[in-house]
Amino acid sequence: MRATTLSGLLKKGDRVAVSNITGREASKVSTVSHEYCGNIVGGWALGKGGQKIESANGTIAVFATFEELLKMTPTEKHPNKILIYSPPPAVYGEVKEVVTHGEKCVETIFIVTEHVSIEVTAKISKICSEANIDVIGCNTLGMINTHDGVRIGAVGGDNPAETFQPGSVTVISNSGNMVNTISSYVASSGMRISYGISTGKDRLILLPMKDLLTLVEKDEKTKIVVLYIEPGGTYEHDAIEMMKSKNFSKPLVVYVAGEIAERHNVSLGHAGAVVEGKRSSASAKKQAFDEYFGIESFKPDRRYKKNEEEMKGKLTRGIRVETLHDIPKAIMLVADTLGIKRDMTAIKPLKLNPWFVHLGELGKQLPAEVSIDVGTIPSPYAEQFEAHSQSFLEGMIRQPMRNASHASSNDGVTPRVYGYSLMEVMERCSFPAAVILYWTGELPKDAFEEKLAEMTLIASLTNGPGTISAQGAKLSASAGNSPNTAMIATLASMGFVHGGNGSEAVKFLVSSFKDEEMVDPYNYTINLQELAVRVADSFKESKNAAKAAGVEYSKIPCLGHPVFKNDPVNFDPREKVISSYLKNAGKKNAFLEFYHYLATALRDNGSTKVVMAVNVDAAIACVWLGICWQRIHEKQMTITRATDIPFLAFALGRVAGGAGEYLDHRDFGTDMDMRVTVEECKVLSRPRNLKSSQLMR
Amino acid sequence: MGLRVTELTFLENFAKPYEIPAPRYLTAEAKLADIKAALESWNDEAIVKPDILLGKRGKAGAIVKVKNAYEALKEMRRIANMEINGVMTRTAYIVESIPAKMEMFTALTYNTAFLGPSLTVSLSGGMDIEEVREDQKVTIPVDVFKGLNAYEAGDVLTKLGCPKGLISAVSKALISFWDLFITTGMQQAEINPWRITPQGQVYACDFKAIIDTSNYKSNIPGVEFPEYPENKSDFEEEMHKWDESSHQGQAHVSDLHGTKILPLLFGGGASTIIIETLDAAGGSPLFLSDFGGNPPYERMYGTAKICFKHTLANAKLLLILGGKANNTFIDVTFQAIADALLNYVEEKGPISIPVVIGRGGPRLVKGILAMKQALEYLRLPYVIFGPETPVTMVAEYAAKLVNALPQVKEVQQ
Repeated sequence: MRATTLSGLLKKGDRVAVSNITGREASKVSTVSHEYCGNIVGGWALGKGGQKIESANGTIAVFATFEELLKMTPTEKHPNKILIYSPPPAVYGEVKEVVTHGEKCVETIFIVTEHVSIEVTAKISKICSEANIDVIGCNTLGMINTHDGVRIGAVGGDNPAETFQPGSVTVISNSGNMVNTISSYVASSGMRISYGISTGKDRLILLPMKDLLTLVEKDEKTKIVVLYIEPGGTYEHDAIEMMKSKNFSKPLVVYVAGEIAERHNVSLGHAGAVVEGKRSSASAKKQAFDEYFGIESFKPDRRYKKNEEEMKGKLTRGIRVETLHDIPKAIMLVADTLGIKRDMTAIKPLKLNPWFVHLGELGKQLPAEVSIDVGTIPSPYAEQFEAHSQSFLEGMIRQPMRNASHASSNDGVTPRVYGYSLMEVMERCSFPAAVILYWTGELPKDAFEEKLAEMTLIASLTNGPGTISAQGAKLSASAGNSPNTAMIATLASMGFVHGGNGSEAVKFLVSSFKDEEMVDPYNYTINLQELAVRVADSFKESKNAAKAAGVEYSKIPCLGHPVFKNDPVNFDPREKVISSYLKNAGKKNAFLEFYHYLATALRDNGSTKVVMAVNVDAAIACVWLGICWQRIHEKQMTITRATDIPFLAFALGRVAGGAGEYLDHRDFGTDMDMRVTVEECKVLSRPRNLKSSQLMR
Repeated sequence: MGLRVTELTFLENFAKPYEIPAPRYLTAEAKLADIKAALESWNDEAIVKPDILLGKRGKAGAIVKVKNAYEALKEMRRIANMEINGVMTRTAYIVESIPAKMEMFTALTYNTAFLGPSLTVSLSGGMDIEEVREDQKVTIPVDVFKGLNAYEAGDVLTKLGCPKGLISAVSKALISFWDLFITTGMQQAEINPWRITPQGQVYACDFKAIIDTSNYKSNIPGVEFPEYPENKSDFEEEMHKWDESSHQGQAHVSDLHGTKILPLLFGGGASTIIIETLDAAGGSPLFLSDFGGNPPYERMYGTAKICFKHTLANAKLLLILGGKANNTFIDVTFQAIADALLNYVEEKGPISIPVVIGRGGPRLVKGILAMKQALEYLRLPYVIFGPETPVTMVAEYAAKLVNALPQVKEVQQ
């Protein structure tokens, strides 16, 4: 049954079925629609019967064919609205199936598919017309009915409620995007939307403008109609004839695009936006509307006399705008002159509102009118930026990396690391330099940086056979494992407590330095002692608060050493080597300096009794953060990567150390010598017997 | 999407198989002896025509009557090398001159009023149909399934006052015309004029059509459509091929030969509006673009890469602008553009133009952050707008900004 009212095309209670619902776009759109209004009763896709599409508002069942969907769905849930998302060659078959089997229930078919041939479109028009079914499309984006809170298709994107709130303006557009875009501007006129309809802009528009406007005429919710029109076809001329003959009562605000095609020999984006004959051109359509309205197009700077009867008479049929952003002003003019009540009292006029401005040096050379200031990011975007920017700094935008790598490449001739030939690196660089390249994307800046990295790798080799990671290697050797397994055992014996503390140090340092304007950690002006005192005092405060509350407090990572802890001022000898090297080179690493100041400040404010040792993990973290800092500052490296690197540096050094332990143990140890004898193991629980009822059968 | 068909293609491929009576013809490959022989049998009168994708050839002086073989050969050579209104001729051909006591216009097309095929007939043949008076032309709907029937054609001809003795022959020719139209997937076709000889024979004396390439029937067995020297730039050509290589996302550009703004625009409607605004505000856009249809990363990356390769070196400002997308993922498209920009700089060296961005739609915030990061890395000045600033205002701002740039002002002064 064809619609006799606008809501007849889509209303609350309508039941939607979607063709090719498992497709990339169809499944996404269906999920959003179902969450927005729960109107999807099912979908079908050849060969996909039995699948399901999950949404927060329930599961959508997928059937193999439309016929099967009808058979498997209770009669009261049989769909009356169909959304076609099938590829072009399949569209005619899908519509034919719907018409054949759904004659009793289907009222409207929305065809989203692009590139449907004009012959097929004509055939669809014919069979649906004979079956008394309305068709919107092809190439429609769908429709939304805000008063009923329902949509079909993708109008409103992934958040329809953001733009579409119940109101008095119906937007009908040849462009799907413009339904959304214009509707979002309408709010600035104090009006909201009743219906948003995308007609599609193929050469044949199967629910033409005159038919749509006939339905709009009867719709009580719609007080003003906004039309977005492109060249091609004579639909608007036919609509104007209809409006004239039937004394159409609702004012229109019309925007006609595409006159540029008459000045330049260019084809516009939509398939049907082709000028064939003078009447289908944008200028002919503009002229036709201006004649219908009886008033020249809207002039934003003109002072219209809204209270005069003459003006009322002139605006009864509406007005055409020359630019898109004048639509809200024209709506206000029409509404105020004709006494149409606004949907909202608060009005926020459209204006340039830049979210981000970064003109730098160029800004100083520009006149004030273009060197604009940053505006205000509205809700909910401001909150989203707040939430995203932190995570964004910690990780780059992601993409599928299965067969892609920035770090290495091989064109079949030359293996490369970040673009550098591996062979050239072999010939001209040291191992630490190659590691810096592979981990940071750039070669070390100088020999000093390279030497520091090397020292961290050497420092990580060992801290004696008793360390957990060395024990891992020895256990593996004792069990008769192969060398690679022993290396895995070394690595597997590391964790955030043993080896990973450097990563914690980086997090701590990034947090401590986040407000400081430091670009080069070897050339800085900040007062590190003051910063250390502030951080120490803040630590003391949180420590005391935690103690008072009787809860654990977060310790500062990499301060203290299990052996070197009893002197008034303590040092880790491996850290001392790195500090001495820095001193001899006449350089100061801001992070390591800060750590030393901090150890003293903690003693001075009473948080610790002695000056704790800045341990080697801290030194490793400070060296590697020093290498990464400038790249983080220039947003060429994520903080996540900089956090991982000290752990990896330790692991790389220690796995070589573990290999040394394995080799030694394999040569001189006996099989199973790492086993702890029964006598050496302490019993901490008493023996118990199973009850008969606990026996498993 | 349409494939244009000219009279020569019609004569070579369609007239005979579809039994549409047409004049005899020779192509540019014909030898002097052949032309001589032909002219003898054609009563020493023939017409030389250009094979070109352009109407109104006669007005441009490219249709010439010839009376002997030497003249014919000379004109064929001249016309084959002609450029008419900036369009190159592919080749020239010679057709028999048909004497006529009557001319007729016919067109088959899909009519927006009937939402199906229609036939238009006028006995004022040879004229532009829009210039023919309404009472001298008739348009009827044609059933897309049943096709054009002889009695329908006969009714139209009777209504127009066609002499009774001609109705049968003309109706037969019109049925053949319909058969050609519907079996080759044409979206519009025009035979203008049909010339009817004093003896009552009907000839299709000019033909033009557009085949709908979305129609599976457009792959016509045995017919190879010639390639025309189209006035397309390398940029348009490469983008066209890239667009045709996949249905995922669309990538359409048309050169505008502007000198200032490189516009990457999204959405069929928005792109038209933005280009018009830039054009009116003096933004001098380099080309018209329409990207969208939720392209996957690889498609958008490829599209942006082609744009940058051909135009970035000449651009004074990069504009990335679109309306509030319904289903295009902004983070995917923006990340792809950002990567293409980074790739360009890595290959060609640094650039220093301002970038203006305006967009709305799903995953906007992630998209803007990706773009911002790339622009900061490249040290490019930028201004970014959200969806609440109208695209037309952003376009006007971009036009003002580009005209205020020191290097642009210098040139203008």
